[in-house]
Amino acid sequence: MVDKITLQVLANHCRAAAENMAYTLYRTAHSTFVKETEDFTVMVMDRTGRVVAVPMDLGATWYPGMNYNRAIELVDEYRPGDIAFTNDPYSGYLATHAPDTHLWKPIFHEGEIVCFVGGHVHNTDMGGAVPASLSRSLTEIHQEGIRFPPMTLMRDGAFDETILRIMTMNVRKPALNMGDLKALAGALNTGERKILAMVKKFGAKGFMDGLDGLMDYAEHQARDILRGMPDGEYVFADYADEDGVDGNPCRLKLTLTIRGDEAILDFTGSDPQLGSSLNVPTGSDPRHTLLLVGVYYVLYTLNPQILLNSGLTRPFTCIAPEGTVLNPTFPAAVGMRSLTCARLRSLVFGAFSLAVPERMPAAPAGSSSIVNVMTTDERTHRSVIAAINPVVGGGGGMPHRDGTNGSGADAAYLKNTPIEITETEVPIQFTRYGLLPDSGGPGRWRGGLATVMEFKVFAPNSRITVRNRDRSIFRPWGTLGGLSAETSNFIINPGRAGERILGNTDIAIAEPGDVIHIHSPGGGGRGCPLEREPERVRLDVERGYVGVAAAKARYGVVITDGVVDAEATAALRATLRKDVHTTHFHFGPERDAFERLWTARNYDALTRLLAALPVHWRFFVKTKLFAAMREAENGGDVAAAFTAVRRDYPQVPEVLQAAE
Amino acid sequence: MSWRIGVDIGGTFIDFCALETGTDRVETIKVLTTPDEPGKELLDGLHLLQQRHGIAPGEVVSFVHGTTVGINTIIQRKGSRLALITTAGFEDVIELARLRMPEMYSLFCARPEQLIPRDRIYGVRQRQLASGEIAEPLDTDELAAAVAAIRAKGVDGVIVSFLHAYRNGAHEAQARALIAKLAPELFVFTTSEVWPVIREYERTTTAILNGYVHPRVAGYLTALEAALGSRGVPAAPMLTKSNGGIMNAPTGKRACVNMLLSGTASGVIGAAWLAEQAGVGNVLTLDIGGTSADLALIIDGQPQFGTGEVVGDFPLFLPSVSVTSIGSGGGSIAWADDFGVLKVGPESAGSTPGPACYGRGGTRATVTDAMAASGFLGHTPLAYDQIGMDRARADAVIGDLSAKLGQTPQATAEAIIAVAVSEMFVEVNKLVARYGVDLHDFTLMPFGGAGPMLGCFLARELGIPRVLVPHRPGVVSALGGLIADVKGDFIQTVFAAAVPDALPLLREALARLKADGLAWIRQDQGFDGPVVETLSADMRYHGQSFEIEVPLDEAWLHDGDLAAMTAAFHSQHLAIYDFNDVGAEVQIVNLRLVVSGATPRPRPAPAADQPAAMATPARRIEVWLDGATREVDLHHRDALRNGHRFSGPAVVAQQDTTICIPEGFDAEVDARLNLHLILRSEA
Repeated sequence: MVDKITLQVLANHCRAAAENMAYTLYRTAHSTFVKETEDFTVMVMDRTGRVVAVPMDLGATWYPGMNYNRAIELVDEYRPGDIAFTNDPYSGYLATHAPDTHLWKPIFHEGEIVCFVGGHVHNTDMGGAVPASLSRSLTEIHQEGIRFPPMTLMRDGAFDETILRIMTMNVRKPALNMGDLKALAGALNTGERKILAMVKKFGAKGFMDGLDGLMDYAEHQARDILRGMPDGEYVFADYADEDGVDGNPCRLKLTLTIRGDEAILDFTGSDPQLGSSLNVPTGSDPRHTLLLVGVYYVLYTLNPQILLNSGLTRPFTCIAPEGTVLNPTFPAAVGMRSLTCARLRSLVFGAFSLAVPERMPAAPAGSSSIVNVMTTDERTHRSVIAAINPVVGGGGGMPHRDGTNGSGADAAYLKNTPIEITETEVPIQFTRYGLLPDSGGPGRWRGGLATVMEFKVFAPNSRITVRNRDRSIFRPWGTLGGLSAETSNFIINPGRAGERILGNTDIAIAEPGDVIHIHSPGGGGRGCPLEREPERVRLDVERGYVGVAAAKARYGVVITDGVVDAEATAALRATLRKDVHTTHFHFGPERDAFERLWTARNYDALTRLLAALPVHWRFFVKTKLFAAMREAENGGDVAAAFTAVRRDYPQVPEVLQAAE
Repeated sequence: MSWRIGVDIGGTFIDFCALETGTDRVETIKVLTTPDEPGKELLDGLHLLQQRHGIAPGEVVSFVHGTTVGINTIIQRKGSRLALITTAGFEDVIELARLRMPEMYSLFCARPEQLIPRDRIYGVRQRQLASGEIAEPLDTDELAAAVAAIRAKGVDGVIVSFLHAYRNGAHEAQARALIAKLAPELFVFTTSEVWPVIREYERTTTAILNGYVHPRVAGYLTALEAALGSRGVPAAPMLTKSNGGIMNAPTGKRACVNMLLSGTASGVIGAAWLAEQAGVGNVLTLDIGGTSADLALIIDGQPQFGTGEVVGDFPLFLPSVSVTSIGSGGGSIAWADDFGVLKVGPESAGSTPGPACYGRGGTRATVTDAMAASGFLGHTPLAYDQIGMDRARADAVIGDLSAKLGQTPQATAEAIIAVAVSEMFVEVNKLVARYGVDLHDFTLMPFGGAGPMLGCFLARELGIPRVLVPHRPGVVSALGGLIADVKGDFIQTVFAAAVPDALPLLREALARLKADGLAWIRQDQGFDGPVVETLSADMRYHGQSFEIEVPLDEAWLHDGDLAAMTAAFHSQHLAIYDFNDVGAEVQIVNLRLVVSGATPRPRPAPAADQPAAMATPARRIEVWLDGATREVDLHHRDALRNGHRFSGPAVVAQQDTTICIPEGFDAEVDARLNLHLILRSEA
């Protein structure tokens, strides 16, 4: 029997099982996705598939509140020794893009299932139209690789060879997939031994009741945090720069309603389902883990003692209407949902920033470019394909300190590769890898700086792919008087002949001698920069984090020969104080300009209108409406623009435009 | 008569272990540390050794010292003020580190404050390529300007770190010479001299740690030499190293970074030797002090080595005995959160004020208080009479906490022990999963002041069937220093595919390593006994991002037997990761050489064989154990003789610790007076 004075013992044993599985998988997996990127998870679940424990050392951060139940139910029968699996984003909404393969194993004790253990690995490739199975340009799920609905992968401890042969036939790096699948199955078998030891120690009933106790405990902690927030309705929107290649902005909108110890996250007003692969499949699940990742961060930030399991999702209810970017219908492509998920997290952070401004940081950089190079080694004439460093940006200014430079917040799980290792293996030469001055949003607490990476290539037709590019148009926002941060960019030959500014473009071909420059966004600033101590600004200048010009223009601190001119600073700050903005958020000129046409009211009208159309019309009409809105004749009126679109395309179904 | 003395400084105590040459008689003492007067405790200890055991300073022919002065300098951030010179364009390498941060679910996550802030980091134009080829000469004007700026800032020393300097240290050496000329008052360390290994962040961090602790460590060692000299100790002091070996003081003053983990490493060395004496091959060591617990695996008698052990906030990329440290010890504080869930740690009462029952001002319930309130402690003077045990204070603080939890004091004390043990349970699970070992084949060896208190409880939780408590569990680290070998590590990055073209490079690297190693042990260490060279390579499959160390036979390099090298790698890979890929390209990243010179090992005479007999308990005591009050046997360790047997539940009290033995364990004393505790199988 587990009671409150020994609940921590069970919590530790469950965590030990999760950590043990994670280390076993990490040790035995084959692919760099597992070994370097740590794009994997493992978990202990209860007997219905709700996650009860996850590792804290290794792996990705997205699934502590996951529920395997829908996928579990899609398999008819479970026997001891079985392992089931799926990678289909539309069956059970467990795998959220095709490269993610989830496995789960029922743990039997005396003929009854006492719990499940499970986990996922991101496979290097699952087949489909492009290597690695991921591209923004893909338009339907069938292009994104082979999909396996939930089915039995292992029976009586033996793999179903038919399934393995089908997978081997359809993917580009079958050995890596097989190695990782076996490693994950091995980790689940380790987990089974740990679970059975717990059943022996606590008794089957004590163990199962204890799992309920752990979820109740997490729920209690989450409710406690919500109770500490003022009741209210907090509305926020954030934009991905593009809804596809060279596309229009994609709005995500959240109405966060906090009542007592509960919260509703209503995503109505977010973009329609997109024609690119940026959709996030959530299956109308009111507690889908991808909708709540931002919430995990918020809860953990506000109480680092919180137990991470699905119990903490109970006070939250999500609404994501069907046929939208956050709840697409089959067969929408979903491969690059990670880009949208980053926006989804900053959306949640922004809404909570409105609820508890004094306790939340400004926006993190929110876009981590994953860089790959394919080039030729001039010494061997061999083609080399390699992952280079992820280019990650800083955290947002915090209530008590500056944002972390060069990484942090919701990107802190990423790792880099030493320059010396990359230069030894890949025929490129780095010219710069470090922090980008003046990139953090100015504030009482400055946003974390962006990272900049530059390298030179030497062979013709070198292909540079940069996945997850965003925030090169709309800036990470500042809060409470803090300013927005600098945007990201992707440039070939910056400041020299042959310069090409590529923004969010995710692939480029480089010529011999070309210099490739990629920088991330910075983190947003928090609090008015004029309140920052001049000495701290001076130190930022001395450290090269802020330039003398920016110190003067943004912070109002006049520095001459490395010394603060106190008098000039006081005078300048008095002048600048007249113009400080008073809004909660500072978005920067790009979003302000965009929202002059696309006001919240106009965008709401747009999403309402699109929601009334059949799903297959929505993205098409959105694109046409964006073009029509740019025409002066429509006067920035969505209804007029829609009429214009229907004039050009009479096939567009008529929509009764509801009054607001 | 002559004596060899091993000394280990911990947070609360400094431990002495003295070994008489010839007779192998062992004497031990503990002295409270004197943080305000570093070094005084050493002289106190020497004095006490003479007083109690008649060991005259003039008879001390060998003095081996493990010290926390280096690691404390880092933890307390009291090191030197440094500047860093890097390749231009790469000034932020130490701030970015390897990006990934602990606490990855927190929006407030941050990296620890750097030891060198960005305003004392200067980029200088120069460039070497991965091949070692110079692509751009060192810009000496820029360097001179940087040195001028550094001098203006007022620093103690400079670290020089250029890209690919592990391959070609010429620019670093050139920079060092120029700095010596322009700023002779500054000390300089280059990455290629401290630890010339590929991976810029790791190599730079290692050099910075070295420079950061250098002035304090050098000062401490100079004072130590003087103190020993003043007492008439003829022995030149030796220092224990993170790699489990020892080096002399002059080397320690420059190569300071090598001694950062000296105490924890020599604990494992001592444990390995004790295990060998007891005939045990696979051991999980559990060294629990007041604030932390150190866990390590000994597999087939061999301590495990690794790189990346954490020192303070920083990873240490030198070969070190692999030890997992967790912030959970006898002083960890128990508390209840607002949901009524009992937690233990991470806050600790440390050595000051310490547990409430020590009567030194502690007012909150700790793990040690839970043990005391359960009746396990206080049956013999502790720590050689230097600590009193006040059961009433333990009862009071446990009582307070139990009132908050709405539980009985007994249930609360038992739950505190269970939670503390479960925290260690998590760490052991990570450790065994990392090594892929099965604990059923292992023996748990608890030592340190609090290890034997909790050892059996942890063994029971882990399903480890055997526990081995050494005769003197309180001084295992001090003993480890006494038996450690003189040992130096040498590395050369080669980064080549395992193909015949690489052979000249490998042979050249080997020759350099051998020359450096031999010079170190013969000239620097003055060791004139037989030297053992152990060759290995860090190898990986092409495309992997990490290496594994593979023992090599030198003849393979001479004979060009690459097949043997790659075969050794494939089988090592299989052993560690459960798979290999015999068709894949294999790379040799680093060549490593360990040179060591053996220290004479004591051969203490086994205790006379005695007929097996049941041990006679000193008395019966009342304890709370496994949910009930029980009367159990109390044994005094000094009374336990070779062949004695008894069964749990029981408590064994001794000067340096208390051993708690729950029901189900059978105890037996061996000829070395080790206590073997065997969990009866439940079948």
